[in-house]
Order: sequence, then structure tokens, then C-alpha cells
Amino acid sequence: MTETLLDIAMMHSDTLLARAKEGDQAAQGKLVQLWYKRIYNFGYKFFMDHDMAMEVSQKTFISMCRSLPSLQDNARFKSWLYKIAVNYCREEARKRKGNRSLSFDVVWNREAEDSPAWETSSQRFDNPERQLQQAELSDVLQQALHELNVEQREVVIMKEYEGLKFREIAEVLNISENTVKSRMYYGLDGLRKILERKNINKDTIGYEL
Amino acid sequence: MSYKPSEQDLMAYLYGELEDDKREKLEQYLLENPTARLELERMNGLRRMLAQVEDKEVIAPPIFVGEHPSQRFWQAPYMKTIMGIAASLLVVILVAKLSGLNIRYQQQELRISFGDVPKVKTESSVTQPTVASLTPEQVQDMINNSLQQNNATLQASLDETQKKLNASINQSLALNSGKIDKLVQQASTASEAQVREFVASMQTENAKMVKSYFQLSANEQKQYVEGLLVDFAKYLQQQRNDDLQVVRTQINSLQQNNDVFRKETEQILTSIISKVNTRSSVGMAN
Repeated sequence: MTETLLDIAMMHSDTLLARAKEGDQAAQGKLVQLWYKRIYNFGYKFFMDHDMAMEVSQKTFISMCRSLPSLQDNARFKSWLYKIAVNYCREEARKRKGNRSLSFDVVWNREAEDSPAWETSSQRFDNPERQLQQAELSDVLQQALHELNVEQREVVIMKEYEGLKFREIAEVLNISENTVKSRMYYGLDGLRKILERKNINKDTIGYEL
Repeated sequence: MSYKPSEQDLMAYLYGELEDDKREKLEQYLLENPTARLELERMNGLRRMLAQVEDKEVIAPPIFVGEHPSQRFWQAPYMKTIMGIAASLLVVILVAKLSGLNIRYQQQELRISFGDVPKVKTESSVTQPTVASLTPEQVQDMINNSLQQNNATLQASLDETQKKLNASINQSLALNSGKIDKLVQQASTASEAQVREFVASMQTENAKMVKSYFQLSANEQKQYVEGLLVDFAKYLQQQRNDDLQVVRTQINSLQQNNDVFRKETEQILTSIISKVNTRSSVGMAN
């Protein structure tokens, strides 16, 4: 639902983009408001970590505002923005691998194997039970996503949650469209296997899909 | 059954990005191939499940981009090294000053010394006498002499060239002024005669034109007036003739009337006479 609303907003963002390019700070601010949630959620799904997502989003938007004038084709803004975000995500991931002896994936997965994640359930009170279930499922799914390798994870998030076309993803990652589709295929396949291993399917999650 | 969709085509189909012709082929394949259909269905199920992950709400923090360019210049990364080099240079200079370091390069030898500079007068006193066969006054005189000579020759050549220049300038001036005078005279005389001629011709021409014009117009007027007079005479004649005719006819009609009247009176008279005669005869008879 929010996706379509956002899309409508994007349609009208052409003039906004033009003004932001000319250095209009208000327009740049609006652009940030418009896209922040998307980039943050991309980062969140990539890292499964609020702080990292915030850091990557802020870096992405600072970089966006600075290099907006160099953007030649306004129609490519979306893939251009995701390209910046992806690059920062990769950079952060690399840094973290260097800084910590243990990969985040390993730590998280070990935890996820035996205990459900209790934290970060959104505070809505219309049917708490279902809300809790949904929060759990959401977390489990995101953990599964996080177990994929980076290449597949990027593609799956951009396709499934950010709604980019295969062509756009190819542009973002600077690879061929067919490679994107392959990564998507193996990403989905991998996700299914992970979820099967976690014994999660239609029957176990307890409500209709 | 030769067609088998690739993973790429399957993905494109799953997300509705497959071209029309390929999609038809794939749908046909799915109809005939239940295992492939099942696989696609499972993928769709997985997608539905993935859709359960909702976006996290987040408020965009204010992002200031304007900060960067106004960064103080001494915070720039390269400033550190530059400042380091400057500081060490300063230290070196200070130490050199305090320790009275003296470095000089003289007569193809480099001297580095600390403390006071030793006077090197001895060497200069050795070299001086060999050169000093001429006194400074003599040298000064020689220089003055040669300078004077030089000045004199320079002055002479200068005077000469100036004279030459003046002469040539005067000559050319005289020549040019003569030429110009002639030209001006020619031009003035020629132009006076020409103007006179021109004016005269103009006058005669004008006179001719006016004359002919007057002649022409006088002739025309004469003709016109003559014509007018003739026409008027004709008209008068006509009028008189007409009048005469009218008078004549009126006279005729008067005459006719007169005749008729006379005849009538004659008749009446005769009748009266006859009547009288008859009456008298009757009376007489009575």
C-alpha cells in the first residue's frame, strides 16, 4: 500500500529533482524525506541492524545531495540512489568483517537456531497475539534473508521489497540482467531451503497466507 | 517438449517482466508440466510469505550537506603535514641562530662554522698587491677620459644625424607645400569657371523652358478664347433665328386671326345688312 503511494509521489518528484539538482536545500530535504524510509529499510534488511541502517542511510543521502548535479538522467535517479546505498552497505560490511573477528552472520545465526527473537515487535495493540506472531515471522524471515550471501541478498531485497525492475537492479549492480535473474532464482531457492531447515512453512506459521 | 524455460525466464515470469511471446510459450509449458507449475507455485508461496515483512517506520534525521565546504582550512588533511614541515623548519632555523651557525660559499670553498665568523683578511691582503700597479685615481682618470671621448663622438654623430633629418624634413615640406598650393589653385580656378558656366547654362535653360511654356499656354488660351467666341456667336445667331421664327409664326397666327375676324365681321355685317334690308322692305310693304 505504501509502495504505491510512494510511487505516486515519485511521479511528481521530477520537478523536485530538478530543483534539488540546482542546489535548492528545501528540495533536497524533501527528497531525503521521500526516500529515507526506503533506503533505511534496505539497509535494515541488509544488516538486520538499526544503527548500521541509519549510518548507511545518512551516508547515502549526504552523498546523494553532494553528487546530485552529476546525475545526468533523472529517470535513472532510483537506480542511481540504490547504487550509492549498495556501495555504502558493501563498504560497511567489509569494514565490519575487518573489525570483528566473528562475522555478524555467524553470531546471529547461532542465536537464531535455538531461540526465537523477542525484541523489536511493533507496538500495536489490535490483536496482540497475531501481532506477536507476525513480528516473530517477520524476524525469522529477515534472519533467513540474512543467511543468504551478500550478492543474492542484495538482489532479493531490491526485487522483493524495493520493487526495482530486473533492468534497474542490473544498472545498480553493474551486471547483466540475466545475472540478476539467476541470483534472484538462487536467492529464492536458498531462502526456501533455509526456511525448510527452520521448519517454517504454511502449516507451522499458523495463519493463512 | 523441447522447450524448457531458463531460470532467468522463470524469474521474469514470476515478477511479470517477461515479454509477451516468451510468456505464452512458458504458460503453455506450465500447462503441460505439473512439476514446473508446482515449483512456480512454491516460489509464489515464498513470495507471499516474504511479503509479511513490513517496512520499519523511521523518521529521517536532518541531513546537513552545507557543512563540508565551510570546513576550516587547517582542518584539511594535508594541512597536518604542511604544518609539521613548517614547524621543523622553524626549529632548525632557531637552533642555527642560537648556535651561531655560519655557512658561506666563497672562492670555491664551502665553510660551515659555529660561533663568530673568522676574518679571512689574510688571503685578500695577499692577492691585492699583485693587482695594485694602478692607483684608483689613475683608473678613475682612464675611465673619465674614455667616457668623455665616447660622449664627444656620440654627440657629434647625434648632431650630424639631426641636421640631416632637419634638412630632409625641410626639403620634403617645401616640396609638398608647393604641390599642395598648385593643386589648391587649380582646383579653385577650375571650379569658379565651371560654376559660372553651369549657372549660365542653367539660366538659359530655365529661360527657354519658361518662354516655351508661356508661348504654349498663350496659344492654347488664344485658341480656347477664339473657340469660345465663335461658339458664342453661333449661339447668338441661333437664338436670333429662333426668336425671329417665333415672332414670324406669332405674326402669322395674328394675321390668320385677323383674317378670320375680318371674315366673321364681314359675314356678320352682311347678315345684318341683309336683315335690315329685309326688314325695311317688309316695313315698307307694311
